[in-house]
Amino acid sequence: MKVVIAGAGEVGTHLARMLSSEEHDIVLMDDSVEKLSIVSNDVDLMTVTGSAHSFHDLKNTGIAKADLFIAVTPFEERNVLACSMASYLGVGRTIARINNSEYLMGRYRSKLNNLGINELIYPESLAAKEIVASVKQTGTRQLIEFSNGKLLLLGVKVRQDAPILNKTFEELAQENEHILVVAINRENETIIPSGTDFIKDGDIVFFITTRDEQKRIFDLTAKKTFEVKNILFLGGSRIAQKAIEKLGDQYRIKVVEESHEKCQQVAEKYANALVINGDCRDLKLLKDEGLEKMDAVVATTGNSETNILGCHLAKSLGVRRTIAEVENLAFMGLAENMNIGSIVNKKLIAASYIYRFTLNAAISKVKCLTASDAEVFEFIAKPGARITQKLVKDLGFPEEAKIGGIIRGDDAFIVHGDSQVKEADKVVVFTLPSGIKKLEKFFK
Amino acid sequence: MNFKIILRLLGFLLLVEGIAMALAFIVALIYGGYDQTAFLISSGIAIGLGTTIGFLTRKANKDIGKKEGYIIVSSVWIVFSFFGSLPYIISGAIPNFTNAFFETISGFTTTGSSILADIEALPHGILFWRSITQWLGGMGIIVLSLAILPVFGIGGMQLFMAEVPGPTPDKISPRIRQTAKTLWVIYLGFTVSEMLLLWLGGMSIFDAVCHSFTTMATGGFSTKQASIAHWSSPFIHYVIVIFMFFAGTNFTLSYMAINGKFKHVFKDEEFKYYGLFVLGFTLIIFIGLLVSSQTGVEESFRNSLFQVVSIITTTGYATADYLTWAPILIFIIFGLFFFGGSAGSTGGGMKIMRIVLLLKNSYYELRRMVHPQAIIPVKFNNHSVDAKIITNVLAFFMFYFVIFGASTVIFTIIEPDIESAMGAVATSLGNIGPGLGNVGPAENFLHVKPVGKWFLSFLMLLGRLELFTVLVLFSPSFWKE
Repeated sequence: MKVVIAGAGEVGTHLARMLSSEEHDIVLMDDSVEKLSIVSNDVDLMTVTGSAHSFHDLKNTGIAKADLFIAVTPFEERNVLACSMASYLGVGRTIARINNSEYLMGRYRSKLNNLGINELIYPESLAAKEIVASVKQTGTRQLIEFSNGKLLLLGVKVRQDAPILNKTFEELAQENEHILVVAINRENETIIPSGTDFIKDGDIVFFITTRDEQKRIFDLTAKKTFEVKNILFLGGSRIAQKAIEKLGDQYRIKVVEESHEKCQQVAEKYANALVINGDCRDLKLLKDEGLEKMDAVVATTGNSETNILGCHLAKSLGVRRTIAEVENLAFMGLAENMNIGSIVNKKLIAASYIYRFTLNAAISKVKCLTASDAEVFEFIAKPGARITQKLVKDLGFPEEAKIGGIIRGDDAFIVHGDSQVKEADKVVVFTLPSGIKKLEKFFK
Repeated sequence: MNFKIILRLLGFLLLVEGIAMALAFIVALIYGGYDQTAFLISSGIAIGLGTTIGFLTRKANKDIGKKEGYIIVSSVWIVFSFFGSLPYIISGAIPNFTNAFFETISGFTTTGSSILADIEALPHGILFWRSITQWLGGMGIIVLSLAILPVFGIGGMQLFMAEVPGPTPDKISPRIRQTAKTLWVIYLGFTVSEMLLLWLGGMSIFDAVCHSFTTMATGGFSTKQASIAHWSSPFIHYVIVIFMFFAGTNFTLSYMAINGKFKHVFKDEEFKYYGLFVLGFTLIIFIGLLVSSQTGVEESFRNSLFQVVSIITTTGYATADYLTWAPILIFIIFGLFFFGGSAGSTGGGMKIMRIVLLLKNSYYELRRMVHPQAIIPVKFNNHSVDAKIITNVLAFFMFYFVIFGASTVIFTIIEPDIESAMGAVATSLGNIGPGLGNVGPAENFLHVKPVGKWFLSFLMLLGRLELFTVLVLFSPSFWKE
């Protein structure tokens, strides 16, 4: 597939890198030669210097023959205009990055569609959603809901006292029919487990289960859930603001933010939040504001280091739930080992979201497992697709991937070897990046 | 440093060479001759060794960084020349190892300097092998491998950058593999068309194949002792001139021309200067020849055009011995030794683009003297050129002349004739072929002492990989962890 990406910022370069490694033809455009030369030095792609909203420069990227145009420059209006122009020039599909949730509303979507803007992506909003899910679901590192929670994916860090330790997956599957381990993150490496593997101390284990059975996972891993009431936000960034908006009124929220201007902004917008103007690294201030008494701390300053350290501090003072925004990809592994709870990376989230458009199969959801390489897909089994023709164990499914569960109408099942996928089922599949291409043919 | 992957890729490349040798074996079979077993053995060695290495290193980590890239690209040319000399040695065509290695590296680097005193006495297989070494080396061993071997999928970028000539390698399509494929298809297309035309012009099919290989590579090996002068047909001369000119043009431009974008081609600044230099120098030498010699008008024009194109594109064919011309004309020809083809062509030398950039930058320096506060960017193709590239080109220029000077001094110790030394060094560094004095177009390199041959072999490699790729291996910071 030929993909043109406008904007060699964080999201753009990450997408370019990922898509290029999966054999897509990538053309990356930006008006800064330096930014482009950094990427083109080690990623196999073509670069075009130019402006995303210039017909001439867009034509130079060979847009007419491209299948997908992704506008992820920092400027919303530029992205929207560029998508509209790209559509006019004949690109297959367009995606614009926006900073304004108004555009996402259903009643305006068709208007935008008429302008040639097919999809919208709002990374900050997606990240905020992830934060809210993490706050609501205590005990887990990550929680992903499929089909309104009919199936759940839970990522849990397993510690010494968990009864699940040292059991093989075969035993586990026999004892628990409705729970399936689909991936393990061990020492920064993601493993798609086979029957004879077992869970070790310190693993982050990704379970798939139904809503009713999720309590059982907390028993198995000896995690206690608790109610979150008091939340402290370090930094009042756009992600924080979105998260506060989504959290609603039932929480007591405090925000510490260094910039006076931003403080004003947050205080005006969200009446339920108490806004403190101060430095997030000021320990005395944080203690005065009752850091120890918080149920959850969300660190979303623009600075990854501050976020990591802030969460580390909160953890050491006994805060049970901490969520750090870590934008620096190199820090992700480090942060995971530092024991600072959940990690949110808006680049990865955005990239996963866009990712589905590059696959031919029908996909209703894509998520990346944070702090691991694996991706989760919710495929829709098309009539006549290969996946529907045999029992799961006879499919010859790639080793790098695992089918987690099926959603059929209102019911959800955990998949075993003897399960059979039927037409129009939604199938939840886990895969390492190397397996993604191989999956496509099963669902076509 | 990931030595395993370096070894692995070299193993795969050896396979490619083994297959090329197998081709020469087929030619040897068709024409008969004493070289058949030699090709069978050397092809067997290359393929066997390549497969073994490939098998032993199958678990190698696939990370190729910048450093690995430089090592692979530099060493592959040496490895190829080493194994490529086996057919000469085993068959007894060139029994001496030093001579055989010199002949092979001169082939792969598309230099075209030869140690052979009687080319026509050699069997067809060996002659074909000489030509095919140049053809493989012309577009680049790595570029070929990128196009055909999937194992180069990762890290291909590093290798491509290290091998392709010119200050800023362009990509024709988003994927390096596709770019490499397109380049080879164009290369192959040109080669086949030239072959047909030469065949129509009266060459035997074998000579047509060999000469089209060495023309498109801007190599210059001929199957005849007298080079192209062996044929008196003006048609053949003109066909070769045209294809030498194409070979010295940036292949990206050829790609555009094939796609009908002639506007781009004629607007391209490097192409304009390339054409201008060729025409200008031809005209000067043409007039010089008219004044100073008795040859006819058409023949003088043809000789001057042929020699200018042959030298500027660094091919090194000869239809006339320029050393018999007036001294001023010899001096102009020697000046052309430093030009080279366009960036992204198969030609050697310094490349037209670098020379134009240098001239522009130097000229603007004068304006900068007058207006110290003025910001005057160097423009090329209507885009201002990044200061980094200008610095890089200046460094290249400096290295080129320092190496030329120092090597000439070293070479005069080995061979005490300053004119021949300058010629030999310049021709090796520029991958041209014939030099001056006792290594001129009518002479060969057989009489050079073994030390001198090894030294020139090194210079050819330096020139082919445009200095930096090889030189960087000699910098201490490269080897520090």
